[in-house]
Amino acid sequence: MRIQVRRTGGFAGIERRAEVDTSDRPDAPAWQTLAEQALADGRATPPPGVPDGFSYEITVDGRTAYAADPRLTDEQRELVSRVLKEGA
Amino acid sequence: MVASSDKTITQCNGRDMTTHGGFQPVFCTIVPPHILDRLAQHEDSALAGPARRSLEHDAYQRTKRRLTTVLGAPAVAPPAGAAADQPHRTVYDARHTQDLPGRKVREEGSDPGSDASVNRAYAGLGATFELYLKAYGRHSIDGHGLPLDATVHFGEGYDNAFWNGEQMVFGDGDGEVFLDFTIPVDVIGHELTHGVTQHTANLEYFGQSGALNESVSDVFGSLIKQYTLGQTAAEADWLIGAGLLAPRVHGTALRSMKAPGTAYDDPDLGKDPQPATMEHYVRTGRDNGGVHINSGIPNHAFYLAATALGGHSWEKAGQVWYDVLTGGELKQDALFTDFATLTVKAARERFGAGNELQAVQKAWEQVGVRTL
Repeated sequence: MRIQVRRTGGFAGIERRAEVDTSDRPDAPAWQTLAEQALADGRATPPPGVPDGFSYEITVDGRTAYAADPRLTDEQRELVSRVLKEGA
Repeated sequence: MVASSDKTITQCNGRDMTTHGGFQPVFCTIVPPHILDRLAQHEDSALAGPARRSLEHDAYQRTKRRLTTVLGAPAVAPPAGAAADQPHRTVYDARHTQDLPGRKVREEGSDPGSDASVNRAYAGLGATFELYLKAYGRHSIDGHGLPLDATVHFGEGYDNAFWNGEQMVFGDGDGEVFLDFTIPVDVIGHELTHGVTQHTANLEYFGQSGALNESVSDVFGSLIKQYTLGQTAAEADWLIGAGLLAPRVHGTALRSMKAPGTAYDDPDLGKDPQPATMEHYVRTGRDNGGVHINSGIPNHAFYLAATALGGHSWEKAGQVWYDVLTGGELKQDALFTDFATLTVKAARERFGAGNELQAVQKAWEQVGVRTL
């Protein structure tokens, strides 16, 4: 499973993106569960955020969903922070 | 109105609506609508009832947010007993969660504690209140004494600060690229000015009106810093976010009003993408149509007008910009040229046909924005 996260906006206005490929990971099932839940809770189009709030684009194997601070679900929050931290 | 029930599924971590004279929590951690839809149709009323109430609540909040966007936020009465010319600050600690507002750690009039983030947030809220009151006679963000609330230590290594529609939120930064977002007072002023804009011109956060929204926040954020330091236009650094970047980052700040595009140039962050003039206007769908990019153009116009006039920038150039923001003529979808034209009009109305008018006209001319 390929999980991509793109974060835009924020006070700095600096875009960040990262990707995790779960295929070689021992914890792949946990990633997949998290990614599917985060995706299911996302929107089909970018939701209106707040000025300077982060916007997120989450793509899992070609399927994309959108979310924006400060209204992420717990799974979305965990997924975007792990992908941006651990991903390449 | 929403039924108050301990079974309501929507988890609103906002404040008790009776605490601050009628606030509604605007942003909630919401169970996804499609799940609520399913639950609302459930045979078991113990499940269906709360789900229905949550759907109603969610719809109510969405409508309210939309109305806030369309109409601007309603005026809120100051808390009883609050002195009109004093801020009413409360600082909360999210303790590295993303639950708002968090635990109350400092109230108006209480002594500084040992947490520097709390103390800086408290001071920054005060500095912002002070500039708006002393320079423009504005009572807080909404003009009616709105209590100023801030949450610090939001999330873990969270690289941002924002105004969520009713309060300030500050992250600690990751320590590698960004430090604590309470460090620069202009960042605090910038975010609170988003609140002022929300309550006044309510500029749409997209494209040129979005870049104007961003620019207005940079302008007053910088003025709050200059006012706090007692600086003249010539003495000011005209930087946004100085002190926010970690030592290893190649850059002095996030934006420069004096020289847009020169604030940072770093292997990780890339190069500051801001243009200074219309010639280099960036067309993009990202960042809400480049709101943090093209704000460099009106930012630079303000810098040029303020430095041409000299002295304290909040007195003349700042007054003109404030008049436009709050004057009622600026449209929500204003273009740069609309804003520029209104500053020329405001300069004439406020100061007559003198230096101020000329400085404002010339500033826009230099950045390539037409005034009518």
